[in-house]
Amino acid sequence: MAGGDEERGRSSKKLKTRFSSSKATQEEYFDDYGNDFDNDTRDGEREIKAREFTNLELKPDHANRPIWACPDGRIFLETFSPFYKQAYDFLIAIAEPVTRPELIHEYNLTPHSLYAAVSAGLETETIISILSKLSKIKLSSEIIDFIHGSTANYGKVKLVLKNNRYFVKSQFPEVLKRLLKDEVISKAQINFEVENVKQRCLPNALNYPMLEEYNVHNDIVNPDLNIALKPEAERRPYQIKSLSKMFSNGRARSGIIVLPCGAGKSLVGVSAACSIKKSCLCLATNAVSVDQWAFQFTLWSTIQKENISRFTSDNKENFRGSAGVVVTTYNMIAFGGKRSEDSEKIIEEIRNREWGLLLMDEVHVVPAHMFRKVISITKSHCKLGLTATLVREDERITDLNFLIGPKLYEANWLDLVKEGFIANVQCAEVWCPMTKEFFAEYLKKENSKKKQALYVMNPNKFRACEFLIRFHEQQRGDKIIVFADNLFALTTYAMKLRKPMIYGATSHNERSRILEAFKSNPDVNTIFLSKVGDNSIDIPEANVIIQISSHAGSRRQEAQRLGRILRAKGKLQDRMAGGKEEYNAFFYSLVSTDTQEMYYSTKRQQFLVDQGYSFKVITSLPPPDSGADLSYHSLDEQIELLSKVLNAGDDMVGLEQLQEDSDDITLIKSKRSAGSMSAFSGANGMVYMEYTTGKNKQGHGSKSKPKDPSKRHTLFKKRFAP
Amino acid sequence: MVNAIKGLLISCDIPMAQFIINYNASLPPSQKFILHVLDNTHIFVQPSMGEMIRSKIAEFRDQNTYEKPA
Repeated sequence: MAGGDEERGRSSKKLKTRFSSSKATQEEYFDDYGNDFDNDTRDGEREIKAREFTNLELKPDHANRPIWACPDGRIFLETFSPFYKQAYDFLIAIAEPVTRPELIHEYNLTPHSLYAAVSAGLETETIISILSKLSKIKLSSEIIDFIHGSTANYGKVKLVLKNNRYFVKSQFPEVLKRLLKDEVISKAQINFEVENVKQRCLPNALNYPMLEEYNVHNDIVNPDLNIALKPEAERRPYQIKSLSKMFSNGRARSGIIVLPCGAGKSLVGVSAACSIKKSCLCLATNAVSVDQWAFQFTLWSTIQKENISRFTSDNKENFRGSAGVVVTTYNMIAFGGKRSEDSEKIIEEIRNREWGLLLMDEVHVVPAHMFRKVISITKSHCKLGLTATLVREDERITDLNFLIGPKLYEANWLDLVKEGFIANVQCAEVWCPMTKEFFAEYLKKENSKKKQALYVMNPNKFRACEFLIRFHEQQRGDKIIVFADNLFALTTYAMKLRKPMIYGATSHNERSRILEAFKSNPDVNTIFLSKVGDNSIDIPEANVIIQISSHAGSRRQEAQRLGRILRAKGKLQDRMAGGKEEYNAFFYSLVSTDTQEMYYSTKRQQFLVDQGYSFKVITSLPPPDSGADLSYHSLDEQIELLSKVLNAGDDMVGLEQLQEDSDDITLIKSKRSAGSMSAFSGANGMVYMEYTTGKNKQGHGSKSKPKDPSKRHTLFKKRFAP
Repeated sequence: MVNAIKGLLISCDIPMAQFIINYNASLPPSQKFILHVLDNTHIFVQPSMGEMIRSKIAEFRDQNTYEKPA
C-alpha cells in the first residue's frame, strides 16, 4: 500500500509544478509535503484548475520578498528567505497557520485572525501595506476588500467590567442603538448573560467584535498584589514576544497563547500575573497540576506563602490578606452539585471577588459546557488561556474566540527546536504484523467488541515493545514512558515486563512514590501510564515514549503525549545539527498492520505532520533472529494470551474511565456500576466460599446472641421463661 | 489415473491468508471457493474468484487507511 501511494504522489508532483517562478522552490516544497501519508491527489486534479495562479503578475524584485499572498486568502511563506523572521511574526499576528513544515509555511486569512490582529493594535492600513510590501505578487483587490470588510467594525464596541458589572461601551451611538435592537442582546441585558452578548457580536453574526481591555494602572478599586518576577527568572525570546502581544500601552488584553509543551508556559503565566499585580485565579485540569502551578508561582515570583492558596478536594485553603493567588481545578469551580460547607464558603468568595487575571491552563478543554460555566461564574478583567494544542476533535475550538479572546501568539515548534529550546524528537511508527491466530479472531464478526483488545495485545507488538524497552534502557540509558489507554493491555504488559504502572485508581501516594523513583532511581527506567499521564503530569526526565494503544483518533492526545518528552535535555551544542545528540528524544507509535489501528494512527499524526514533524516507518522490529529472547515466541504462549484476551469481560477490555477530581462530598456517595445477572449466579468463574475469620476461631469473640436473660431485647423477654 | 482440478494459486502474507479464509467462511456453502489451504501463506482456490478476492482485499485495506480530507 505504501508503494502504491508513492507512485500516485509522484505524478501529482509533476502536475503541481505549474506554479510560476523558480522550479527549485516548488520541488522542495512538495518533497517535504509528500513525505507522509496524506494524499489528496484524487481531487488534486480538479483543484489544480481552481488554484491556478499562473497569470498573477510578479513584482520585479520578487526574489527578495518572502511571501505569496493569493487572492483566496491563503498565504505561503518561504522559510529560507532572509526576511523570514519578521515575516513570520507578522503573519502569525494576522493569519492562522495551516501547516508549517520545514521549507514553506501555509497560512490562512480569516475574519477571526484579522480580529486578533486588530485587537493586538494593528490597523487596517498597516496590515495592508505590510502585506503588500512582503508579497511577491501584487495584492489582489479581493484580498484588500476582505481585510477592509473584516476590520472595519473593530474597536467600535468595548466590554468593560466595572464594580462587578459588565457594561457595553461605544463611542458611536448608532452602533449602540443597533446592538440594543438585537433580540439576543436585549434579553441578555436582563439576564446578565455576557457570553451571549459576546457571541452575537462576533464576525459571523452582528460583526461588531468586542474589545476587552483591562487598564491595569487605572484600576484603583481592586487591591494590589505584592508580586514580582524573581531576577533569576530568565525569559526566553519567544516568551517575551508572547507577553508583549498581551501587554502594551499599559493595557492587558485577553486571549490565548499557544506554546509547545515544555517551552515554558508556566513562566509565561506567572509573568502575566506579575505584570498585572492584582488577584489572580489560576485554573488547572487536575490536582497534580494544581500542585505544580503553586510550585511554579513560588519558584519564579516573590509571592509570599500566605498570599497563595490551593483549592482542591483535599486542600481547602484560602489566602489571607486583601489580594492573592488561588490555584484550583476547573471541576471545583464548575461543579453543580451540593458542596461541603468549607467549599461553599470558598466558592462564594471566589464568585464575589473581582479577579485581575483569570489564568487558564490547557485551555483546549474549556469549550466543553461544564468548563464554560467557570467563565460565567467568575468575574475577571483579563483572561489568559495557555495551551500547546489548539485542536479538538469536536469543532468547538472557535468557541474560545468569544469565551476567552483571540489568539495572541503561537510559537513555531520547529523554530524552537532549531534554537535548542525544546528537544529534537524523532517520531517513528513501528508496524507490527498481526499473528495468524490473532488476526483470525480479529476478523470474526462475533468478536467485534474485542477488536481493540486484539490488535493491542498482538504478540508481535508485545515483542517489539519489549525489544525497544531493552534497547533504550541498556544501550542508551534512556528513561522510557509507555502509554496505554486500554487498561487491560496496560496491566498485562506491565505485569509481564515487571514494570511499575500508574492509572486512574492508583492512589496519590503511590503515584508520587513511583514518579519519584522514576526521576531519581537509576534502576527504575520505565513506567507504564494510562490516560492519567496525558495532562500536565510533569515528568521532565523522560526521553522516550512508546505508545501501544490510544484513544481512537485524537490529534490532541498525540500532541500532548509528545509534550511529555519535549523538554530540552543535554548540552546545547550537542543538540545542534551534526552534534552527537542531534536526536535525543524518541516517540514510537506501535501499530498493528491491517487493522483499524492503522486508520486511527494516521489520523492522529495529522497534527504533528502539520507542525513539521516527519514520521519514519519501521517495519523490521524486532529483528527476526531475536527469537526466544523476547516473550511470546512460542505458539503455545501466544495461544494462551489469545484465550486470555477472549475471555476477559467486555468491560475490562474497553477504555479506562477516569474519575474527575470532584468535591469530597460526592466521593462519599456510593458508586453504581453495571453488573450482569450471570455474575451473581457464579457464571463469571467466581465461587462462593465461607470461612471464619481468625478472631472467632480462637473462641475469643463472644457469640452474637447474649444468653443472659436480663440482656434480652424487650420484645423477646416475654417469649422466654423469665 | 490422476484426478486433476484446475484452480488458482494465491500466495500472500499471513494476515491476508487469514482474511481470505474468513471471507470464505462467511459465504453460503454454494459459493465457497477455497479448494485447499496449503500452508500459512498459500491457498488454492477456484479459478474464477481472482478478481473478487482482489476487490475484497482492496475494500478491506481502504477501510483501514485514513485519507486526509483536502
